[in-house]
Amino acid sequence: MTIGIGGAGSKIATALNPDATVINVSETELGKIPEAGRRILASLHHAGGQFRGSRKDPEIGREAFQSLRRELSQMARGDLVFSSTGGGTGNGITAALIEELTNLDEEIQPSQKTQFALILPFAKLEPAEFTRNTIAILGGPVSQAIDSGSTGNIFLFSNRLKFESRLREDRFNRMIADSLSVFQAVPEKNDTLGLLDGHIDYEDFAHYISRPFFNHFTYFDYNPSASFAGQLAANPNPLLLPPESPIEALFLLEVPAGGDPTAFYEILEYFAKIDVSPVYSVVENPERTKPFVTVSLLYSRKPAELLDDFNRISDEHTQAKVRKSLEQHIQLPKLEVNLREHAEREAKQRGAGEDVLSVLKRLGKL
Amino acid sequence: MSTLFDEQVSFLAEDHFLVLYWAAQSEGAGVRYNITNCFDDLKFSGMTRTKQTAMATVAALAALRFVDLRDEGNRKNIYITTHGAKALRQLVLEKAFSPKPSLHLKGIAS
Repeated sequence: MTIGIGGAGSKIATALNPDATVINVSETELGKIPEAGRRILASLHHAGGQFRGSRKDPEIGREAFQSLRRELSQMARGDLVFSSTGGGTGNGITAALIEELTNLDEEIQPSQKTQFALILPFAKLEPAEFTRNTIAILGGPVSQAIDSGSTGNIFLFSNRLKFESRLREDRFNRMIADSLSVFQAVPEKNDTLGLLDGHIDYEDFAHYISRPFFNHFTYFDYNPSASFAGQLAANPNPLLLPPESPIEALFLLEVPAGGDPTAFYEILEYFAKIDVSPVYSVVENPERTKPFVTVSLLYSRKPAELLDDFNRISDEHTQAKVRKSLEQHIQLPKLEVNLREHAEREAKQRGAGEDVLSVLKRLGKL
Repeated sequence: MSTLFDEQVSFLAEDHFLVLYWAAQSEGAGVRYNITNCFDDLKFSGMTRTKQTAMATVAALAALRFVDLRDEGNRKNIYITTHGAKALRQLVLEKAFSPKPSLHLKGIAS
């Protein structure tokens, strides 16, 4: 099952799975999701009814989490949760959920671990609050979750491609959903297509996605006569943040009917060089005309390093804001200082300056 | 008459000179100078510690018609007269006393 939290999370979750459960604090926002398996309105103590969102304030999301705490932490077991890190609802509820999972007394079974797909803002063009909220969730709950191993894979999607290629939102959401579907189809292909070497059954796959690391997956047409390292470097998944050096890996090689299945040794060698033993499977897919590989890398880049970019851009935002408000609110008068007049005024203050007689003359007293 | 004037001027003390000087400076700067300012200045210059003395100095100058005391609002403001101006000129030219800064003028100017 899939769960979408907040506006962005809900839209992507339903794009991947029309039966997804969507959660929001605003009825209006919930109504914007055309199809969903179940809609949950997280309650807020608000007298005016719940027709407003959380207005980029994660505290509102955290408060709302309390109303569905027990239900959500049970429901999220073994599921994939979508959420953006910029807004208030997704960030607040997800942060609280991750904390809840991290602080559980019981050990969570691997098959019960929750995977998270977090959509990070494109800091350059999105509001400064989004950047701030992202820094807070990555530096806090996500970092703790990776350290404690309380979650499954975490996918870090970035809005960069959307803004740089000026994509329609629904199209971009569809791209994320389609991309994830390719990765999630790995065990099914292993099961239904003719197996040539290795194997990744549902159990292996479930174990892999329950590992508490960041997951970067990608897929491309594989040319067995060229180096795998070069092809992998040239074909990262543009929707995800670039990976760090992997700790674990998984790949599925699909070869056309009658194709050479031994091409996978080159891939194994590549991973052996970087001390990773991947889980892999080679299948024959008659629909393919060229070998096609789906690769996933698990890495645990420290969120602190991950935050650097966001912090830098947040600083720039702040500086620009301060500069603007200075320009708008403070008028600095132009000071024209005449040194001679200034010296005379100083001398007058000391009582030694202007001759008292000239003063008296000026006053007409003499 | 001029002998009397010279004698009057020659008997003026430093505090009288300072009050005339400060009154002239204040009028030159376009600010009012009242008895309280005068007392503060005399105290700051170390001439006196009591308001009575300051009052006596001003009263003596007023009696000699060197200054004019005017009730304005609830303040007694000091204005230098033409006689006072002449007396001050004489004292300045004789270099009888050296001027001291006025706290009042300084406060306004700074």
